[in-house]
Amino acid sequence: MATLSPSASTLTRPARRSRSGSKGARKYAHLWFVLPGLLFFLAFMIYPALFALYVSTTGWTGLGNEFPFVGLDNFAKALTAPTFYRAASNNLIMFAVILIVQHTIGLFLAVQLNAKPRFMEFYRTVLFLPVIFSLVATGFIWTLMLSPHIGFINPVLKDLGLGFLAKNWLSDITWALPTVIFVQAWQGLGWAVIIYLSGLQNIPEEMTQAAEIDGASAWQTFWRITFPMLSPATTALTILTFIGTFRAFDVVYVLTGPIGSPAGRTDILGTLIYRTAFGAAGQSSADVRMSYAIAMSLIVFGGMAIISGVMIKLLRRREIEG
Amino acid sequence: MTAITQTPPRRRPSKKRSRLIAGIGRQFVLILVSIIVLIPMLYMVLASFKSVADFFGNPYGLPSIWNWDNYSRAWADAHVSITLPNTIIVTGAAVIGSTVLAALIAFGLSRKDKPFAIGLYTLFVAGLLVPVHMIILPLFFMLKALGLFGTLFALILPYIALGLPLGVLILTPLAATIPRDLISAAEVDGATQWQIFWRVVLPLLKPGIISVAILNGTWMWNEFFIPLIVAFTPQSQTMPVGIVSFIGTYSTEWGLVFASVVIATAPIVFAYLLITRQFQSGLTAGAVKG
Repeated sequence: MATLSPSASTLTRPARRSRSGSKGARKYAHLWFVLPGLLFFLAFMIYPALFALYVSTTGWTGLGNEFPFVGLDNFAKALTAPTFYRAASNNLIMFAVILIVQHTIGLFLAVQLNAKPRFMEFYRTVLFLPVIFSLVATGFIWTLMLSPHIGFINPVLKDLGLGFLAKNWLSDITWALPTVIFVQAWQGLGWAVIIYLSGLQNIPEEMTQAAEIDGASAWQTFWRITFPMLSPATTALTILTFIGTFRAFDVVYVLTGPIGSPAGRTDILGTLIYRTAFGAAGQSSADVRMSYAIAMSLIVFGGMAIISGVMIKLLRRREIEG
Repeated sequence: MTAITQTPPRRRPSKKRSRLIAGIGRQFVLILVSIIVLIPMLYMVLASFKSVADFFGNPYGLPSIWNWDNYSRAWADAHVSITLPNTIIVTGAAVIGSTVLAALIAFGLSRKDKPFAIGLYTLFVAGLLVPVHMIILPLFFMLKALGLFGTLFALILPYIALGLPLGVLILTPLAATIPRDLISAAEVDGATQWQIFWRVVLPLLKPGIISVAILNGTWMWNEFFIPLIVAFTPQSQTMPVGIVSFIGTYSTEWGLVFASVVIATAPIVFAYLLITRQFQSGLTAGAVKG
């Protein structure tokens, strides 16, 4: 859209080059290049999305060919189900905590790297490394690290004489959710560091130097000059974190399982929709209903689209004012 | 903070010293964070060499015997010998497919005065918002109806489609910056649009294409959710899902599990260490644009 604008200035030139083909054919010739991709897109994206819309208004269980029309019942049911809100609030907590971590620790580390310390390349490479790990690998690593007896954390705590701090991290009612969030933060911190670092590197040094010459303290320079200049990075990271945490699934599935144990304390929208659609051990089969799961995922999609749209608008406005 | 920095005439030596302290503090923080990042990874590698007894007797130390057996058993029993080639084929085919298609689309839509150019661009980019959760269930039944279950196409085809939005988002603005004169000159020389695409446009899109390939390749290699739903046998699974389905049968054999995890992770880590910069700029390019 706006990003297409570079070509605008060259568009006004009269087209002299109608050497081959009729005028109409030339006018639409570019669409031949779009067609193969568009067919893929229609088949595996648009069609399933429309089908999802249709199914959400039926009582389809996922088996058989009965699609009784139920109107908006599935949506009404989801919006009044306590499990839906419990899952959504866990997503929200996850989003809030990770957002804070990214914007504080992530930004702080990016500032440290931007000062070009010795071994900077090494630190940069290491800090981004978890990002390329699959959440499955990350999940397994931490499942074992946090395991009550054979893991890493508890045995180390015990040997340090801090055994009273040892916990059943992933099955303790209080600690399970914070632990899951910690693992996800561990995996995603590299994003914040690299995005903020490239933002910092785009700030002309003259600006901060000028502020220093005018007598601003380092603290003032950071808050008045650097931080506002970083607002595109802040926007990108906030949206990225929002989408990432509300789409989360793998990390919970591997760490605490599809029912979000213990007692649903780590249940999130991703796992709730998954087991409503496909079922899971320890869940009654009456709770498995494909059309209901699809309705929930549509609510999540709609909610995410609206919220991220509003967030982009608000954050962009801040970018301009800053 | 402000109290220190606002004392106006700062003398040189103290400034130098405070800078030195800041430098040491900085190194300390960065080393600490690096340790927090690296310990779990090191632990993963060590765990992949441990026997079951070692996990109980010696939870965090070095393995008492380096148990290479875990790797040979991961290869055979945990079906890594099947799921590793699968992962390579699926990622390779889907990366090439979606990158080439996205480049074609980008060229086709690079002039926004052309009919439907803006509308189609918006349609493709809107695909970024569609959560896999929403389309996976219809996709499941579609793939079943097409008879693709049990084949790698059940993964490759959806991956190609899901890779398009990012590809179009990154490549279209890039294709729009290619000077029109360059393309006109090729047309005057008698090149067809098809030749222009391959000989002129594609080489100029190379930096963007590398970003798109890395971005899509990373998630495709690591993707867990889609194969969890549509691939049930090792013959049609990629590594992340293969390992998770395997865990169900051998839950206490951590050494074996971690040998599989190391094999699944090593190729992408090597690729990352080889071209760190491209990975970092490629992955964040998508993020910042989105």
